[in-house]
Amino acid sequence: METFDVAIVGGGSTGLAALKHLSDLGKQAVLIEAGPQVGTKNVSGGILYSKRPRNGKVHNVEDVYGSDFEASAPLERHISKYILHATSGNKIFTLDLTPAHEYQTNFGYSVLLNKLNSWFASVASESAEKQGGGIVTGVHVRDIQWSNENKTLIHTDELEEFQVKAIIAADGVNSEIAYLTGARQKFSPNEVYQGVKVVIRLPEETIEERFEIDTSEGAAHLFAGDVTLNHIGGGFIYTNRDTLSLGAVYHYESLFSKPTEPSTLVNALIQNPFVSELIKDEVITIDIDRELSKEEQLRKRFALTKLVKTFEELRYSCYSSSGRTRLIDSGKFKNFEEMKAKLDSIRQELIEKYNTKFVTNYVELEYSAKLVPDGKRCRMKKPYHRNILFVGDAAGRGIFIGPRIEGLNVGIDDAVRASLAISRSIDKNNFAEDYMGQYYTSLVEQSPYTRDMKEIDKEYLKIFLESTKSIPKEIVGSRYGFIFKIMSSGKLRGLAVGIANLLGYEKILPLVESEETYVQVPIEVALKLGKKIDPSYTPVPPSIEERVARLRYNDDPISHIIVREPESEFLRKLVVLCPTRCYYHEDNKVMLQHEGCIECGSCAKGTEWRHPRGEKGVIFNYG
Amino acid sequence: MVNVAVIVKLEPDFSEGNVSYNPDGTLNRAETKSILGPHSAIACNAAFYTKITYGSRISIGTMGPPIADSALKQAQELTDADEMNLYSDRIFAGADTLATAEVLRSGIVKMLDGNKIDIVFSGHRASDGETGQTGPQTAWKLGYTFLGNVIEVNIDLERNYVIVKRLVMLQGFDGIVEEVEAPLPVFITVDPSYSPNYRTIYQRLAFAKYRKEAIARANNYKQFLKIYDSKSLGVDPKFVGLPGSPTIVYRVEKIPKAKASRKAQLIEGQDIDAIKSIVPKLRPIVS
Ligand SMILES: Cc1cc2nc3c(=O)[nH]c(=O)nc-3n(C[C@H](O)[C@H](O)[C@H](O)COP(=O)(O)OP(=O)(O)OC[C@H]3O[C@@H](n4cnc5c(N)ncnc54)[C@H](O)[C@@H]3O)c2cc1C
Ligand code: SF4
Repeated sequence: METFDVAIVGGGSTGLAALKHLSDLGKQAVLIEAGPQVGTKNVSGGILYSKRPRNGKVHNVEDVYGSDFEASAPLERHISKYILHATSGNKIFTLDLTPAHEYQTNFGYSVLLNKLNSWFASVASESAEKQGGGIVTGVHVRDIQWSNENKTLIHTDELEEFQVKAIIAADGVNSEIAYLTGARQKFSPNEVYQGVKVVIRLPEETIEERFEIDTSEGAAHLFAGDVTLNHIGGGFIYTNRDTLSLGAVYHYESLFSKPTEPSTLVNALIQNPFVSELIKDEVITIDIDRELSKEEQLRKRFALTKLVKTFEELRYSCYSSSGRTRLIDSGKFKNFEEMKAKLDSIRQELIEKYNTKFVTNYVELEYSAKLVPDGKRCRMKKPYHRNILFVGDAAGRGIFIGPRIEGLNVGIDDAVRASLAISRSIDKNNFAEDYMGQYYTSLVEQSPYTRDMKEIDKEYLKIFLESTKSIPKEIVGSRYGFIFKIMSSGKLRGLAVGIANLLGYEKILPLVESEETYVQVPIEVALKLGKKIDPSYTPVPPSIEERVARLRYNDDPISHIIVREPESEFLRKLVVLCPTRCYYHEDNKVMLQHEGCIECGSCAKGTEWRHPRGEKGVIFNYG
Repeated sequence: MVNVAVIVKLEPDFSEGNVSYNPDGTLNRAETKSILGPHSAIACNAAFYTKITYGSRISIGTMGPPIADSALKQAQELTDADEMNLYSDRIFAGADTLATAEVLRSGIVKMLDGNKIDIVFSGHRASDGETGQTGPQTAWKLGYTFLGNVIEVNIDLERNYVIVKRLVMLQGFDGIVEEVEAPLPVFITVDPSYSPNYRTIYQRLAFAKYRKEAIARANNYKQFLKIYDSKSLGVDPKFVGLPGSPTIVYRVEKIPKAKASRKAQLIEGQDIDAIKSIVPKLRPIVS
């Protein structure tokens, strides 16, 4: 039987960092990823942070991948503007939270995980190969067993079983390893957020103009108020190089009490007048005369598709400085004017010859969703089981504080700590819980990120509140007006935070994260202080069916989810809460059609939930 | 070390937008883009399997016009070959399967610096008018054991044997698998249904490693390419090209379409009643 030192289950950013670091420590590790390629299953917002806490040390992405990380990784934009909007109808009130974003931060980049994780994989596998390890994709870990001689055996759907000394479970928020070993319960709706996201296309320079940034900059816009449709959570838009990541993240319990379709929540954000102006684009609609003969229709369609493609490619290059340089260097065009003239002529041809229409809307490229663990509520207190260490989302670790959503950096930090613990165990050939597991736990407990999940950071709160200086305290009428006043006074704030931390997050969370803080206060502020926006159009988002149709799937006829209790209250809610409407009512029972599943995990708590077999299921191009 | 050869063929790309025809309806070979034939690609996969599992050295050979090197590049990507050979000469034109086999035989004995080739892989047949005889005829010329319709290949390195599975057609039975052992050297034509099965981590890791290497090599495939003409190959002009081809194509006729003896009934509509009306008709057949 094949034997390796370490198996890492899951090739998201957490597992990949573990592979890289363990290999750099000279240890042999193989990473098993179910997706057909690394990066096809991962979803994030997302901003990747590098942090420098005042107390303690975190292991940052550049510590793992080297100091030239920023220069060589496929990062989208360096986020230099961080803005919070309170919304109510067509009124919007804007606060600059850039100081909060910069707090203890080396950098924050917008990223798309398909691209970034493939880059991580290429760098990590090079290091791993030197130690006799590497990355195996398209393989789904089905079970882990310990033989009588205490051998650890890994079973997969695709390969012969193999043996390892230790395991890192980096298999994400719906960690099967955690469920099947009983290391932790499945997360309950109170412990997680549901994240839904769309990737929107826009030319590079249009992004720069609308978000008031230059080529080397990026912006993050956050939203609270009526865009949340009265749920606890909020919306975001992050600028990428020539796309936008737009999404909504909601406390899952809040959705459970008043179920709203995830796509409706994203649509609410898309249709906010301020947002719709940011994403606005010119969209080509093709209309082929159905009276024409079949062959003629086909011929027209081919010609049109080609022309539209040329038009779009040229438009994208024309409105990006690197694109223009490329076109000029290749000798295709002499200058911008020439490109512009060519664009105009194709446009003319499209309109006159093909009866094409240019309408105002926006262009959505990909729809995705995933549960996000709220580390304050669900981080594993004992992130190990026998010789398995849990890291990142699998260990329920993520920072959710006000506007902060951080899981990528936390996972990377965990990965380094787990690697250190395992490396020490390999040297001493001791993988016992009280040696490896407990040591790992102590390392994780020392992490400043764990501190962030346990208590309120007074300094961060101060910076946050200072950003809200422009809001007259009197206008916040609810009971939060009072708290707001206390918190804004330097002396009282210290005392209040002290008391709050004494009480612990469990007690104060219902107060801090409530409908009032996320919805009513922002609405009040927007109504009283907000600027009115007159929308120039109403965006028409695609239907769920259209969104699913645009996704890539490698269909598995065997469902990876099994419904055992088709009459449960939980599943009834899923008819609304599944982002791709996989559940439906039939004869008073809830039925599942797994084909459109995007593996978000929202239904995991009420079903027998597994990831699809190797290479099967949804394939995200952006993530 | 196992030495492996793969015989590949450049074929017209029949996919939409690539194929082009002359006004008389015949294939316009000059205009039609060429690719590695699908059957050749499968033979490449089998060779790559031996590289990953047994660390074999691979050499690729093809007979064709000088533009055949685009197919060689594709083959390089699939096999990570150590060497590629193009046999190209005007006098090879008009060759039938026997004359082609003569060129290939001469090429194979020169591969890998004249080291003996243990296994030759080729595709089942070509998709542009071939009769599946080139493989067996080359095997015969080489004096190698011929194994056709192979769906799995294993090598016993100690005994110098191959153990293969063959898909055999027997009237009345489908999908009979025959397991055959044969001493090396052998000539294998790979069945279209062949798909390599990498069931261990080491195989998968090796696959990823060699595939990466192969892509890098394919970008510089010319470094690995040797071009032979009839002289450098040392073939007797009597046995190659048109003079070496005993086959005479007298005439090509279309096979007339057989008249259907059964009657088809069209049921239109998507409603449940239309679907239900089919069920009674199907019942007797199913039962
Ligand atoms: C909408 C949204 C916005 C977010 N915004 C941010 C942000 O701005 N900043 C930030 O830092 N974080 C953000 N996060 C959180 C962050 O994306 C996650 O914390 C992070 O991606 C988790 O990485 P991971 O490697 O731990 O897990 P995952 O990325 O989920 O990776 C798990 C991997 O394991 C594989 N796998 C699972 N089971 C098996 C098995 N049995 N066998 C083989 N392979 C398996 C899966 O295919 C997957 O590739 C956001 C998340 C969401 C959903
Ligand atoms: S079926 Fe479950 S996992 Fe799949 S998309 Fe729906 S809620 Fe998410």
